[in-house]
Amino acid sequence: MTAPSILLVEDDVSLRMLTARALRENGYAVRTAATGAEMWVMLEAEPAELVVLDIMLPGASGIELFRKLRRQSDVPIIFASARGSEEDRVLGLELGADDYIAKPYSARELIARIGAVLRRGGGEGLSKGDERTSEVHFEGWTLSLSRRELRSPSGAMVDLTGAEFDLLATFVSHRQRVLGRERLIELSRTRLGDSSDRSIDVLVSRLRRKLSASGSEPPIVTVRGVGYMFKAEVRRS
Amino acid sequence: MGPRRMGFRRLGLTERLLAILLLVAAVDFVANTFLFDSATTTAVQRDDAARIGEHLALAARAVAREPPQDRADAVRALSTSRFMLAWHPQPSPEELRSSDPELVESILSAGPELAADGQRLVVLHTHSSREVAGTLVLGDGSALRFHTYAGEVSVQLSLWQILPMLLPTLILGALAWFMFRATMRSLQRLVSALRHIETPNPGGLPEQGPDEVRRLIRAFNQMQRRIQRQQAERTRSMLAIGHDLRTPLARLQLRLDGAQVEEETRAGLEHDIGEMRQLLESLQAFVEAGGTQIPPQRIDVAIMAATLVDSAADQGLDAHYDGPENCEIMARAVSIRRALANLIDNALHYAGNVRVMLACEPGAVIIRVEDDGPGIPEDRMEDVFQPFFRLDTARTRDTPGMGLGLSIVQAAVRLEGGTLALINKRQLDGEGTGLAAVIRLPVPDKVATA
Repeated sequence: MTAPSILLVEDDVSLRMLTARALRENGYAVRTAATGAEMWVMLEAEPAELVVLDIMLPGASGIELFRKLRRQSDVPIIFASARGSEEDRVLGLELGADDYIAKPYSARELIARIGAVLRRGGGEGLSKGDERTSEVHFEGWTLSLSRRELRSPSGAMVDLTGAEFDLLATFVSHRQRVLGRERLIELSRTRLGDSSDRSIDVLVSRLRRKLSASGSEPPIVTVRGVGYMFKAEVRRS
Repeated sequence: MGPRRMGFRRLGLTERLLAILLLVAAVDFVANTFLFDSATTTAVQRDDAARIGEHLALAARAVAREPPQDRADAVRALSTSRFMLAWHPQPSPEELRSSDPELVESILSAGPELAADGQRLVVLHTHSSREVAGTLVLGDGSALRFHTYAGEVSVQLSLWQILPMLLPTLILGALAWFMFRATMRSLQRLVSALRHIETPNPGGLPEQGPDEVRRLIRAFNQMQRRIQRQQAERTRSMLAIGHDLRTPLARLQLRLDGAQVEEETRAGLEHDIGEMRQLLESLQAFVEAGGTQIPPQRIDVAIMAATLVDSAADQGLDAHYDGPENCEIMARAVSIRRALANLIDNALHYAGNVRVMLACEPGAVIIRVEDDGPGIPEDRMEDVFQPFFRLDTARTRDTPGMGLGLSIVQAAVRLEGGTLALINKRQLDGEGTGLAAVIRLPVPDKVATA
């Protein structure tokens, strides 16, 4: 398997080099661009599997660049911003960015995000046709994978901890399948890793409580002695 | 509202103006009375002197016309009960011994002919200032004696006479009080506007009232615009500093990630970078909390609070949630979440424990974040809302952040039209220690049912 190729668009020389080095060390093939123009040249020469785009670039703004890029290709895009404002994040995700990361970020953080976006793109349980799925619907609930948000049937935002979100995302992409505890931990590892020693059971029970908000039965059932299963019908958009 | 101190009341402007008016009226009244009194007295004396002069002149003329043997009778006929006259061929030496020159003067000025050649007037007050007696020595050496009582003129003012005179003053005072109050109303409006200076007031206050107050309002409006400009300026520069620091900080982080350093050093550096990152985040949050473009959305604030508590509990901290499972409101998720997180972090930092209680009532959601820590000294209660204020002194400083936490909470809550109150539990429940932060968010009727 060849290393996933990533295009890093960042105007700060040192940061560009440092980020590229960190990504290479983690097994990615990285090309870099300092401006939008350079980015087009690079993409022209060879397509990338993911673009990390600085939102504030000289010349054309990252957002302009993003719009243009989105029109031309389906390549996953992660926004990197020095503004770190909530409005920026919302705007970026609304425009259809696959993730948003605020500076300063650590190598581990960036790699985790890139891994998550790439996994989502070609993840298990997804058919080829809807690789770019960002929203999942079940029993009136809406789970936005890109914004990491869950909305209740009444449209209210329902907060999840990072671990809870990852667990739910795992359940949703493995619906109608019984998952053992070890398998769940393995699949949800990105966030669960350093969060706590809490057992998966606690997380599942919290998720169930949150998902029974509308008074209906929670869609996660216990399979005695084996693990859990997500039984609801899932529709993607 | 400060504590009410009994026995010491500060007069308002209206009362002060009224007091000035009444003082002026009182001084005026006293002065008038005094002047009236002395004027009356002089007038009375002058009238008396003139009367005496006239009578004496007439009597002297009558004496001159009569032969000496008839003079005594003629003069007696001129006597009245109030002005007694008698004629003697010779004055007795003692009756000429003393005289009141002032009285002589005033009588002579009323009857100049009395001062004719060879005549001499001797006058004295006898028993009282109202009783005058004297002798006019005529040209032929005979004496014309007189004794008179001045008219009983009362200049003594009784209470019943003063009262009607005071009545206009009293009515005037009442009238003045109402007028003063009306004049002061514009000033009072200004005062209440000043109290709410933090709420943005783009149009400024309308310029109303008397000229001075108008000028004051105009100056106030200008000042408010200046403050708003400065705040906007400060916000911009804070954001600019934040942006500029983020890139080098990102470099620092990545350099550390790729560097070969001892694990202990790495942990220290990671911690420092993390703290700087937090500082930048709280600065950003503080700047954004004042006003954001993000519209409110439907959120489940009960789940939000419970999730924050769960996250803290997952890290092994003493955190509990007590409230309903669900409570949907319209609010800005990010700022409310940050507000709750700040309160929970504060409680955990200062007290080591936190209890979040939520009541989802029709019309309002009340969220109480409390701890069993030392609370806040009553005299610092106001200070803790100030940006960049920290309760721990610089020496013992171990609190992360810039002292923006509660300012951010307050701004976030205000953005939703809610209120934030900090109360020491001793004050609230009468016992125990610890602090309770109470957020009250209004819920419009149509949203509450869902």
